[in-house]
Amino acid sequence: MDEIIKIEKLTFVYQSANVKALDNVSFSVRKGEVVGIIGQNGSGKTTLVKHINGLLKPTRGNVFVNGVNTKSKEIDELSKTVGYVFQNPDDQIFSNSIIDEVSFGPKNLGFGKRRIKELVEEALKTTGLEYVKKNHPYDLPYNKRKLIAIASILSMNTEVVIFDEPTTGQDYLNRRIVIKIIEELKKKGKTILVISHDMDFIAETCNRAIVLKEGKILLDDTTDKIFMKKQILKSTRLKPPQITRLAQRFKRIYDGTLSVEGFFNQMYK
Amino acid sequence: MNQTIIEFNNFKWHYSNNRKFRLDIQELKIRKGSFVGIIGPTGAGKTTFCYSIMGVVPHLQNGKMEGSVRIEEIETKNSSLNVLSQKVGLVVQNPLSQMSGAGLNVEEEIAFGLENHGYSRQEMIKKVKKIIELIGLKEYARRSPFELSGGQQQKVAIASILVLEPEILVLDEPTGYLDPLSTDMIFTLVKELKKQGKTIIFVSHKFEYLNELCDEIILINKGKIIKKGAPTEIFSDISLLSKNNLGAMDVTNLFARLKKAGKWKKRFAVSVEESEKELRSEFPWMR
Repeated sequence: MDEIIKIEKLTFVYQSANVKALDNVSFSVRKGEVVGIIGQNGSGKTTLVKHINGLLKPTRGNVFVNGVNTKSKEIDELSKTVGYVFQNPDDQIFSNSIIDEVSFGPKNLGFGKRRIKELVEEALKTTGLEYVKKNHPYDLPYNKRKLIAIASILSMNTEVVIFDEPTTGQDYLNRRIVIKIIEELKKKGKTILVISHDMDFIAETCNRAIVLKEGKILLDDTTDKIFMKKQILKSTRLKPPQITRLAQRFKRIYDGTLSVEGFFNQMYK
Repeated sequence: MNQTIIEFNNFKWHYSNNRKFRLDIQELKIRKGSFVGIIGPTGAGKTTFCYSIMGVVPHLQNGKMEGSVRIEEIETKNSSLNVLSQKVGLVVQNPLSQMSGAGLNVEEEIAFGLENHGYSRQEMIKKVKKIIELIGLKEYARRSPFELSGGQQQKVAIASILVLEPEILVLDEPTGYLDPLSTDMIFTLVKELKKQGKTIIFVSHKFEYLNELCDEIILINKGKIIKKGAPTEIFSDISLLSKNNLGAMDVTNLFARLKKAGKWKKRFAVSVEESEKELRSEFPWMR
């Protein structure tokens, strides 16, 4: 069994507002999968992933990470396995320098000094922040602070990494950096969950996607199959990537085409 | 309508705390009623450009300005923000940053700007009601703006600007934080405003929307206007975009791929519709 995350009939109610944010959600994720979580605001995406790192506990149902029920674990324990990059970096960043921020996680997890140095250097390199590591995080603009938030999770070297909207507010170059980071994590065999509204980004990075609507799973399939379900997607107002929409206008081209290269190859196969 | 509504002349600006950056616009005229898209990488000067139209530069920022920006007959540096805010409305990326916080509910938040302009209570109620209908915020009118979704908050922000009836609406990445549904909502709204004759300046990375809506695109980088042109002209120029750290749309990349393989010689298409048409006419076997 290489299931690293298993979610069983998870229901979550925000007690204060008496809102059912998740309604009987079940799925599991195998080690090394890259899964996109998509759906409109308020569909339950963030509430769902907060159960995987233990920030929230189920009202009903169970969440298992590495076979252990999150109800039985403290967040500290879970944070060795699951890293969560917040949507808003400012909710996450608190140190006075970038290097301190990125070192905090591995220090907290009790790694040795040499290992911490290694992990921090690698995280700074991957995110392209090594040249500004002595700076105060707020010396950098918002889109770079998002990379700081990513670096401070990467340095913890967790088995599972969750990204919440990593490309919002990012321009083309930073978006490429985020895609490269995910590629590298994939190569290392990490399990990755990505919440995103950016369908091009989902198409490029995820093998599988889960569509949430009003707290329920609407679709759970490989990314190409998801983007072929035009009618269902329409009900959640999600649009397949542009190249996929073009592909769907031709019989010759597979309706689940996700890339320019894929489109081209089908024209000249 | 060929009347100029915004005019830059020998305009130069640098912030006193940032010697490296300078916005430098020799000459620029924007036609009344046009919809202009602004593109460029982060740090290119897009926001400073918006600020200079609004008068936030030079009035609220420290720095040095040369030349002039005119909004119709008004020269921004000789005018006040109060006068300018009736001509130009600015919507920024984060809707929360422009909430006054003074209003307990959406209605009051939208009315806040009017209060500062000395309208009577009767007039205010009428104007706020009209704008709430137009923007589709009716069911949220009595809710606190802070309880709404990002998309709804951005609509409140736009409403509180529109209620002042500015002729020019400047939107600086207003959909940056929004989900696809809300993004669609905002673009549909500005399309409607264009029909009503507003001049719209829209900063965005969402090329597909800009291509559909804009009369003109201005590419800004390193504080300068690199190119101004029709959307098809700018968005089909992959090397221009990539030189300025911008990525072309994927349908355009497909035509570049075809060209690389020696299969395409014409201009690259920039929309799904155009691509379909071009592919069908050039390659009859594409069905």
